Amino acid sequence: MIFREMREFGILGINNRIGRFILRQNNRKNYPLVDDKVKTAARASAWGVPMPENYLEIGSVGDLKKLPQLVTNLSSFVIKPANGSQGNGIIVITEVIKDENGWISFKRSNGKIMSMEEVRHHISGIISGLYSLSGRPDVAILQQKIDMHPIFKDICFGGIPDVRVIVNQGFPVMSMVRLPTKKSDGKANLHQGAIGAGIDLQTGTTNNAVINGQVVTTHPDTGHLLSGVTIPHWQEVLELAARCFDMVGLGYLGVDIVLTPDQGPIILELNARPGLAIQIANQKGLLPRLEKILKDAPSGLTAKERVAFSQANII
Amino acid sequence: MKRLTPWIVALLFLFPTGLLIYKSQFLNLSLLPQKVDDVWNFDVTLRPKDPTATTVSFPIPRAGEDLKISDERIKGKGYDTLIDRNSDSAVLTWLGEEPIVKRVSYSARIDIQPIIIKKISKDNTVNYPKQVKKYLKKPVLLPEDEEAIVLLENAIFEGNEDKSMIARKAFYYINEEIQRNIKFKTIKDALSIGKGSPLVKARLYSYMLRRKDVPVRIIAMLRLPLLNDPPEEKMQLTFANEVFLNNRWIPVDTNRGHFGERPDRYLVVHRHYEEIEKSINRKNVVYTIRADRAVINKFNKEEFRKEVIRKGTFFSFISLYRLPPHVQEIFETILLIPLGALVLCLARNILGVPTFGMFTPILLTVFFKETSLGFGLFFFLSVVGIGIAERYFLDKLYLLAIPRLSIILTLVILLLMLIAFTGIAEAFGASHIGYFPIVIVTVFIERFSIMLTEDGTVNTMKTLLGTVIISVLTFGLYSISTLEILVFTNPELLFMIMGFLVLIGKYKGYRLSEFIRFRGLVKQLKAKAGM
Repeated sequence: MIFREMREFGILGINNRIGRFILRQNNRKNYPLVDDKVKTAARASAWGVPMPENYLEIGSVGDLKKLPQLVTNLSSFVIKPANGSQGNGIIVITEVIKDENGWISFKRSNGKIMSMEEVRHHISGIISGLYSLSGRPDVAILQQKIDMHPIFKDICFGGIPDVRVIVNQGFPVMSMVRLPTKKSDGKANLHQGAIGAGIDLQTGTTNNAVINGQVVTTHPDTGHLLSGVTIPHWQEVLELAARCFDMVGLGYLGVDIVLTPDQGPIILELNARPGLAIQIANQKGLLPRLEKILKDAPSGLTAKERVAFSQANII
Repeated sequence: MKRLTPWIVALLFLFPTGLLIYKSQFLNLSLLPQKVDDVWNFDVTLRPKDPTATTVSFPIPRAGEDLKISDERIKGKGYDTLIDRNSDSAVLTWLGEEPIVKRVSYSARIDIQPIIIKKISKDNTVNYPKQVKKYLKKPVLLPEDEEAIVLLENAIFEGNEDKSMIARKAFYYINEEIQRNIKFKTIKDALSIGKGSPLVKARLYSYMLRRKDVPVRIIAMLRLPLLNDPPEEKMQLTFANEVFLNNRWIPVDTNRGHFGERPDRYLVVHRHYEEIEKSINRKNVVYTIRADRAVINKFNKEEFRKEVIRKGTFFSFISLYRLPPHVQEIFETILLIPLGALVLCLARNILGVPTFGMFTPILLTVFFKETSLGFGLFFFLSVVGIGIAERYFLDKLYLLAIPRLSIILTLVILLLMLIAFTGIAEAFGASHIGYFPIVIVTVFIERFSIMLTEDGTVNTMKTLLGTVIISVLTFGLYSISTLEILVFTNPELLFMIMGFLVLIGKYKGYRLSEFIRFRGLVKQLKAKAGM
């Protein structure tokens, strides 16, 4: 029976993820710290954890009237819902264009031009809760746009890749990099057709890649080989992810990190219910790793020591 | 915590089970109302032929274990009435001071239970109770009839039979050797030609048994029409027997071949033919008997309500049957909602079928039940159509979310108008639509429109399909009327549903959908491991 094989390979299923890891390790009262990006940003800044700068937070439709004045000094930014999920509702503006009449329009990362009206509509959609997890009214954040690290130049299309690290009790257990494709509309979202490439925890090198669960060796848009790419600042990436456990107190956590060309790794967002596709990207089951941590990991370690433990004990 | 769950689950299962056992074994309450096959409206109208007669009598059915009578109505203005209920039968008599010239009538609602006696053991009774002795009275026969019967007796009886065997042998002979034919009305015809009317056959049976000291009687009864039979204007009485074996009366019908059983389509009107011979003779009285179906295949909730209240136990006070009928109706539907939730939990957590939110499938099911499956599906898919069309047309207007949803809502109202004008609902067999569709729309369309934006058309359609499949499956479950009435009668079963829900909530195994999701991964891992 295939279920037995799945268990033998240590594949983690949804029910088990929720029942054994999320419900038992993640206290509900800490959820807003990861679901609400405004709160995450405040906490991160208090802990000295690097995150993209938030230029503006728009919480009411009334503020939208002032949008032209508010964006006039910005050259590029990202619009995102504070309570969004799966990268939905995020728009990347690479250029703020002013014509001779003073009318402002925006150039998106995919090259399309958006009018002020369209941007306003999008933001009002965010505010009215169109992208929020609970469907409640939300706040739109205009955030610093992150530039792509040159290492990803050949294996990305359209957007910025991010590194997802699953952290259990502060110990990194599995990791992958999500690479945007033409099909994913430049988003690093696996459901929408981005590439997931598993990363070796010890070396930080990609070892395997999938699109929609199917193994691929090269990027469909650029044609470059996906495995063997070593993520720069790998130790820093893992330590940053490990620190997030101390910061938000969630035992089972997905940490999304982007590599900037100048600032090094910074936190993009945190996820209290990280998905299971990372197992397919890595061609490895999560269960043995999670159990190893719960069984053998010593307590009272610093983030650095936890990373060392993971790298030494997780194969 | 680990040890707590089995206890809670055990409690949730044992509590309702215990209650059910207690109710059925100790309080002798039925767990379900009786299923009523057919309830009949029985009606007899008559007047005496003799214009000077001041009394007229007619047999009427008598309530008993196999017969329930309600709504008795006797008509006959100005006449006194008298019902003589002797131990076996009832006869209604109208008495007038002046001759009865107008028609009088009796009507009642009658519920018949079939009689089936599986085992008839040997009987060698010699002494009978007093009230049975009159059914042993030896017949006075014409010499030629007696001669023929003696011949017959010698042919079929060996002389050492017990009374049950005598009853059986006589039954086999008359049932098989004498053809039913209403034209032949004498014992002589029956024995020489082999044909006889139902009454003659019943008489012959009675003669043969009484000659062997077996108590037997001729019963008059109505043969009720089957569901598809053409309506009969005037129903005729027909005749059969009852024989007293092992201290009880056993039905025997030599005309229709029943021994030890009487189907519920026979309504016994009287149990001692000799006593009513005159009053049912059309020479003396003009009468019409009618019987029509009143209720077909329904649970007899009214009777059950009486039973519950009559018992006067604690459960009588917390029974839903005490509530007014319209409140009962509401509960009949909503008590099934937890069952729908159980199906939903199974589908989502065990099978991994995607649905729109938690309540959309259940609401949809209740909507199907309120209207009809066909109309419900039609309406739901129309709303989906509106949602998709709206995305194409209104997207370009950049409307805020709430006004945009309000426009969809308005379009749905227009759709409802269209439905009302075209009579589509009636065509699908839905009687009323009510406010329910609007509730569904508000719950559903918002999620639908967000999902269409976020997850794309393919994923949304998968979820839509999942939602519809779950709703239709749950609807199938809701359509089992026994289930509905079972939960309504014993609402403690909801605790059992909670027990199942705790078990599902504790399920940490894989979902069936993950079998598909991780199929490729397993294959690759197997290849790597060299399996």
